[in-house]
Amino acid sequence: MINLNIEQPREIAAGITVLTIAGELDSASIEKLHAFCDEVVNSHPPYVIAEMSGVTLFSSSALGGIMGCRKRLGEKNGDLVLAGLTLDIKTKLNLLGANKIFKMYSDIRTAINAYDWEYKGKAEAVSVSFPSELKFVPPVRQLVSRIAQQKGYSSRDSFRIETIVDEGCNNAVEHGMQGSDRNIDLSVQIDREKIEIRVVNVSNPEKVENLRDIIKGNQTPAQVAALAGKRGRGLALIKMLANNLNIDFTETGTSVHITRFRGE
Amino acid sequence: MESQINLEFEDLKGFSNAKKVKFVGDLDATNVEFVLDKICTMMNDGFVNIVADFQKLRYVNSTGLGVLLHFNKSAKEKNGSFKIANVNENVYEIIEIIGATSLLEIYDDIDEAVESLK
Repeated sequence: MINLNIEQPREIAAGITVLTIAGELDSASIEKLHAFCDEVVNSHPPYVIAEMSGVTLFSSSALGGIMGCRKRLGEKNGDLVLAGLTLDIKTKLNLLGANKIFKMYSDIRTAINAYDWEYKGKAEAVSVSFPSELKFVPPVRQLVSRIAQQKGYSSRDSFRIETIVDEGCNNAVEHGMQGSDRNIDLSVQIDREKIEIRVVNVSNPEKVENLRDIIKGNQTPAQVAALAGKRGRGLALIKMLANNLNIDFTETGTSVHITRFRGE
Repeated sequence: MESQINLEFEDLKGFSNAKKVKFVGDLDATNVEFVLDKICTMMNDGFVNIVADFQKLRYVNSTGLGVLLHFNKSAKEKNGSFKIANVNENVYEIIEIIGATSLLEIYDDIDEAVESLK
């Protein structure tokens, strides 16, 4: 007996088809699956999200059928991704090696975000506002580094991004007004090609001139290393790790805008 | 919320004025004062030759690097040395970008660094 329910494919956004599948995916239901696959491949946008939160059984033969469907969509420059799988089913599929073939997402929204990222090159943005104190910088820099890693940047690249955020935020604290009532605003925009980081502090008039002097300096690495004090190398490090660095002084604050292209 | 850094000290057999210091964690602006205090106290106590094991040092920033350069200078002023070993490639890159590879004594492993004390 076939205990499989497949809803009519629906286009939920430009270029994206959702196929909701529930019940038992086994050898008995393969024919039904193939019929829907034919329809999707021939008549719908080729990026297909198979919503499977209602799937209770997923046999290896059904997996073969789904792989065939994915292959056909791939030939049309599309993909078939799986969304909403229960932990039990996902574990079983992983044991069969399906995670090496299919992208799996927790829900449809996440799969759409992945499509926007992969196919449209859409950037994602994160903003963090935190008190102007050094102790808040480590969790912020680690957060941005993890975002970069999660977005497919290499661990080396993510480490460099962590360094840039760290140095940028430390400078913002050290050269701006400090204290729990003053905030540093960090905004990050990341896409497949690059990350853009903006750090804005509240200016400390006594320190702005000092910062201007540091920016004017165009030191070689050897000169930077030979600096007498324990501090003062942060901006030089940003310059060397970033592809572009702009600093704007306004009456209220200093805004540092850094761009780094994806390395590998 | 400061970064975690732990320093583990070990005697070096055959060297009365040397210690091995294992750095574990992240060295940055939030904890340099702690590290500065511990290492300077050790140097002032006569342990002027230090072998720093960076195998478990995940991260260092420019402030941390500034302190390492300071240790190097202080040790030399006391006729000692500050040697670094087992540096991971990310940390090494930061040291290199800053241009400090020629100022710091960096070794591939601890044995090599200890050998150089002889």
